[in-house]
Amino acid sequence: MPRVISPLILALVGTILFGDGAYIHAKAWLAQVLLERAFERSIATGQPVKPWSWADTWPVARIEVKRIGASAIVLEGTSGQALAFGPGHIHRTVDAGERGVVVYAAHRDTHFRFLRNVAIGDVIDVTRSDGHRFRYRADSSAIVRFDASGIDPETQGFELVLATCWPFDAIASGPERYLLHATLIDYRE
Amino acid sequence: MDNYDTVDRDEHPDEHPWLGRLIKVGLFLLAQSIAVLLVSFVALLVSFETSWSATSAQASLLQPGDAKSGTLLLKEDGATTEAIRLGTDIDITVSGPTLRTRVTQIFRNPTKDWAEATYVYPLASDGAVDTLKMVVGDRVIVGDIRERRQARVIYEEARRTGQKAALTEQERPNIFTNSVANIGPGETVLVQIEYQEPVHQSGNEYSLRVPLVVGPRYNPAPIVQSVDFRNDGSGWGATHFDPVPDRDRIASPVLDPAKSAKINPTSITVHLKAGFALGEVKSHHHNVKIESPDNATRVVTLAGGTVPADRDFELTWKPEAEKAPSVGLFREHVGDADYLLAFVTPPAAEQAAQKPLPREVVFVIDNSGSMGGTSIEQAKASLLYALGRLQPNDRFNVIRFDDTMDVLFPTSVPADAAHVGEATSFVSTLQARGGTEMVPAMRAALTDKIADTNLVRQIVFLTDGAIGNEQQLFETITAMRGRSRIFMVGIGSAPNTYLMTRAAELGRGAFTHIGSVDQVEERMRGLFAKLENPAVTGLTAKFSDAKADVTPAIIPDVYHDEPLVLAAKLDKLVGSLEIKGRVGDRPWSVTLPLKSAAEGKGLSKLWARRKISDAEVARTLHEMTPEDADKTVLALALDHQIVTRLTSLIAVDKTPSRPEGAPLKLSELPINLPAGWDFAKVFGERPQQTPTQLRERRADAGQPAARRPAPVTSDTIRLPKTATSAELKMIAGLILIVLALILFVFNRRQTLLTDAA
Repeated sequence: MPRVISPLILALVGTILFGDGAYIHAKAWLAQVLLERAFERSIATGQPVKPWSWADTWPVARIEVKRIGASAIVLEGTSGQALAFGPGHIHRTVDAGERGVVVYAAHRDTHFRFLRNVAIGDVIDVTRSDGHRFRYRADSSAIVRFDASGIDPETQGFELVLATCWPFDAIASGPERYLLHATLIDYRE
Repeated sequence: MDNYDTVDRDEHPDEHPWLGRLIKVGLFLLAQSIAVLLVSFVALLVSFETSWSATSAQASLLQPGDAKSGTLLLKEDGATTEAIRLGTDIDITVSGPTLRTRVTQIFRNPTKDWAEATYVYPLASDGAVDTLKMVVGDRVIVGDIRERRQARVIYEEARRTGQKAALTEQERPNIFTNSVANIGPGETVLVQIEYQEPVHQSGNEYSLRVPLVVGPRYNPAPIVQSVDFRNDGSGWGATHFDPVPDRDRIASPVLDPAKSAKINPTSITVHLKAGFALGEVKSHHHNVKIESPDNATRVVTLAGGTVPADRDFELTWKPEAEKAPSVGLFREHVGDADYLLAFVTPPAAEQAAQKPLPREVVFVIDNSGSMGGTSIEQAKASLLYALGRLQPNDRFNVIRFDDTMDVLFPTSVPADAAHVGEATSFVSTLQARGGTEMVPAMRAALTDKIADTNLVRQIVFLTDGAIGNEQQLFETITAMRGRSRIFMVGIGSAPNTYLMTRAAELGRGAFTHIGSVDQVEERMRGLFAKLENPAVTGLTAKFSDAKADVTPAIIPDVYHDEPLVLAAKLDKLVGSLEIKGRVGDRPWSVTLPLKSAAEGKGLSKLWARRKISDAEVARTLHEMTPEDADKTVLALALDHQIVTRLTSLIAVDKTPSRPEGAPLKLSELPINLPAGWDFAKVFGERPQQTPTQLRERRADAGQPAARRPAPVTSDTIRLPKTATSAELKMIAGLILIVLALILFVFNRRQTLLTDAA
């Protein structure tokens, strides 16, 4: 029997690891469903609504790229906790639609997986939790180190930056980040 | 067993039996992985389940306090919090031997809520606080002295019913708390306290000291004990013990000077009526304007109008004459009693006639975090000066402490060049860090290893006294002082004067303050004069006719250049006062006729304050039971209207002001870090953030209102880590599964081959 046991243990460990990885994706997906509900309510009530009672964050915006059918609900803050559930609004940047630069960051393998498919010129719609909608157009991309992003928080323009890890298909995490830069082109109540 | 099994199965008629097995195992693994996935999904759903009900029940606004790991919120909140503002005005009138200080604290509430403010502030440790006034609009409410607990009850009642109330409580003899309830939105409430204090004299110099900030105190951790009952069922067990039971009451939020501007603006005016023609008048740590209406009067004001409350105000004055009067006698008639205050400076022993006695000096230097910045420099300079003053026939040792401790030499060593050199380099390398565990250091210093009675044993203790467990230190001194004498050197911009004076009193020594590096030499020279010259000992005071209650009851030894200060309550002001003692080995006496005493102010309060302090000392020395001491203190305090450990002043405005139902917000007023202190040394490193206030955002042409309140801190934005380990785990998992399959097939093959063979 030992001959059977060792491969069985191996298989079990493998399955648990696989399941753990799958759990991260499942959590990311399921959280977005819950966040969508909370976000709808935020828009309706005009007040921040927590997606679940013990959450230390709340939805602040929805990003959509209609051409490729991608969308995600952005959370306030970029703690590891928040990023597991959705893209995070980097804490020290302005809100969407305001003068300055708004930066959203998310995992390359979950919520910002679609970023690799966004081309320069694509339209990115951002809906704020108060119902205001802003339309940005992607105009450049860059690969930077995480501690030298080159993003000027005091810019005078109305800008949006989506950030995720680079390279897209790497397995381990590294210091490089992919930035997609966009500028405000339209604004609707 | 294996083989039997396989053999059994091999007898099965199937042509490829291992293929079937493989399929089975494959199916099993598939089922297992589905199960794991299901389990993880279920776990996820279960953890979300409560949330659904909770969110639907209350779609409430997210409050800062709600966040379970709310650092994000708190940071934002901290940047925008509007708080109660405080301004302080200090008005001091010096009349001869005493001074009266009026402290007016202005509490302004710029918020939209009703507020309660508490402010922890220092006062002179020998001051008698006897008046509290609260000014609301044009009404003045005068406070009453009450037992502390009773005052608290009255205050809480007023707070609840929406009445304005002010409460003054003593936390330490030099730390007080003012609480003001129900300050309306946009309203300003003035709280005024007054205290009486004796003028300090040392040699030719008179001085007053106004502490303006309570330095953050190091509070040793409680010794954690669970109550441990004996097994024999006798009901005896160990109890809990916290060295600083009131640690919350003496701590205030402290502003990081790198992040916010100094607060609590303070203005100071001193009306100095010395009673004699004045020579030099000097403020040591503040720039002042001095006016001279006549030759015995000065009016001192701050040059810049106001200063932030972050260091002690120290004013000294000297008589125009070469020599200060060596005797001062003052009287006051209150009720049916006369009060007397006497200052007598004994003559100095002739230096030539006195061969200085060889000494054993133990220097203790505090290098804890609160000493960081300029304090440690002052302490090191002072200690280096002291080492240079040692005589070859002296013995000495050096102890340094923070929350650890080093004793330089195992026992005290002769002060020869080699040892002094070693000590000098030891002291020069000291760095300020860590907590302040003062008791073990004091214990080590008091341990008398040589026990040579030919040597005079002296301890010179250099510290800022920033501890909360003063009582523990006093008990150590009381228990171990033996023949050692303790000389305290208070270092820094806001030393704990109460600790210095009481430790020196219990240690039968003297104390001095060093507030800046400039003062090191002058003050240390004064201290060494005390160390090197014999004290005036065996002092007694006797009134010829009057029946007197004298304080201090047992007169301490008086050191070089110090006056003997006596306060007494007399039944009649007749006859004379005779003071006797020994200067070195010669007898000395002086007789003062009482009728020549001059009129003084507030002497009864000073007498009561001294009596209270005597009772507290007797309690520490176990000469009085705590109950008796408390009874004495309470009686004196209620009689003379003084705030003490057991009594508080309370003022209540009977007109209710806060409407019922309107909430009341508590605000603990923050304090400055004392000047010269190093924030990081006391509170640990700052969170990774560069100062925000120093940076200004570019002016906005467009839509300034829509902007967030500029929480931007650095030039570029750091990006978070945005890759999960999901892929890695899934791939590793798959590899392991495949490996398992290969291994399984391989094993299977082997078995078959062996069987075939």
